Amino acid sequence: MADRIVISGMGIVSSLGYELDSFWKNLADGKSGVKKISLFDASSLATRIAAEVPRDFEEYSRTYVKKRAAGQMTRVTRMCMVAAKQAVADSGLDFGKEDKTRCAVVMGVVNTGNSSIEQDTSPQNTVFKSMTNSMPAWVSLEYQLLGPSMAINTACASSAYAIATGMQMIQNGMADIVIAGGADSIINPEEISGFNALYALSVANEPPEAACRPFTASRDGFVIGEGAGVVILESEKHALDRNAALYCELAGYGLTSEGYNIMAPMKDGEGMAATMVKALQNAGVGTHEVDYINAHGTSTELNDRYETMAIKKVFGERAYDIPVTSSKSMIGHTIGAAGAIEAIITILSIKNKTLTPTINYTDPDPDLDLDYVPNKSRPMDIHIALSNSFGFGGHNATLVFRKYPEI
Amino acid sequence: MAKITENTRNEVREAVIAFFAEECETDTSQIHDHTNIIRDLDGDSLMFLELIEIFKKKYNLDIELKTIGKYAVKHPVQTIGQLIEMQLLVIEHENRLLELDK
Repeated sequence: MADRIVISGMGIVSSLGYELDSFWKNLADGKSGVKKISLFDASSLATRIAAEVPRDFEEYSRTYVKKRAAGQMTRVTRMCMVAAKQAVADSGLDFGKEDKTRCAVVMGVVNTGNSSIEQDTSPQNTVFKSMTNSMPAWVSLEYQLLGPSMAINTACASSAYAIATGMQMIQNGMADIVIAGGADSIINPEEISGFNALYALSVANEPPEAACRPFTASRDGFVIGEGAGVVILESEKHALDRNAALYCELAGYGLTSEGYNIMAPMKDGEGMAATMVKALQNAGVGTHEVDYINAHGTSTELNDRYETMAIKKVFGERAYDIPVTSSKSMIGHTIGAAGAIEAIITILSIKNKTLTPTINYTDPDPDLDLDYVPNKSRPMDIHIALSNSFGFGGHNATLVFRKYPEI
Repeated sequence: MAKITENTRNEVREAVIAFFAEECETDTSQIHDHTNIIRDLDGDSLMFLELIEIFKKKYNLDIELKTIGKYAVKHPVQTIGQLIEMQLLVIEHENRLLELDK
């Protein structure tokens, strides 16, 4: 029997905190990280809100990233570094005791955030800040790791793909340890104008915290978030040999491409359903075993409708008994980081035996009739959970997590 | 060809040490001639290029980067002391730097 893959460490940078404990408390309390944009003057834009990482992050990051290296990174890459170093510390790993040729890094990177709002870029640092491989490169450099190191771009599914790829690497015998995750921010005038032109973003600017309304009748688009999420993947044997404390098992994944449209999801959620089915098959999990789904839940008309239809296709009547939450209602859509950040929320939900809420659920869409855990967190002993990520271009990923140990 | 005075030598030394202290977040008292740039200061090769630019402006030097690159291949720099000596040679010989190897 193949060795299991376990999660032994996690790190987070988000609009609701830079540390796992405070991040979790804010989520469980149903707080929103969405505010008026402060990173630049957004007054001329249709969308003027986002879930920004607080401004004191720069000061916080100095304890993790040296000044010289920080100048060669974008703010987003610094978020990645902070989350990665937190995850490594959380795992208790000492790379001095590891075979570094068997330590890999996989990061989901849509872009590095080297936009017009990035500051203090010298001519020499322009290239470093733009390199889409910079995040995995810096993480490998930090610990002088010698295994595979790469970036994966599958839009909003990027960091879920990164975690799935990390799992493959361990299963294929390429690595014992994989640092996997992603970081992203598209809070800049160019991206917001572009997404506004596609009618993808919410323009419900007042009050900001009520803008992201997944699965409601009044939802009007996604709200941009930013941040980073990183997990440490290990083979169970490797983790147990070093007496690591474990969060849960990564039981499997499903990766698909819809081959349908550069923006819209496949009609009636067919592609989303196929992804969840593949993930369950890969994990060897039956539909009757799934306790919870952390939805992609963007608060757009099509995603929420089709994701609900997809869950019903896969789970039949059982769909009504499975709680489905949208973390994006609180932290916005963190794009390339979303898969990893929402995987971390799913893992913390298993660990803390609590479902975080879908906030702003005040006016249910009559067509969307699942249990979306409205507005308040709820205790639940979760054994199997799914985390969905669906990206522009039809890149889909579902991760399956299992409680560890299974008791 | 510029003449290297004691004053120039001191200026270059102070500038190099101050640059590394600032960039590597280290006290100037911790930087000596034998300090290894990569191993001891966690520095990088780009710092050498940045220093060249600083000295090009300060001393109005006529020197091409490729000239320095060719010279550095034969005379690798690892320590602060070696770097200071290289910068002094650049200031003194500018684009005729490679003639030193003939």
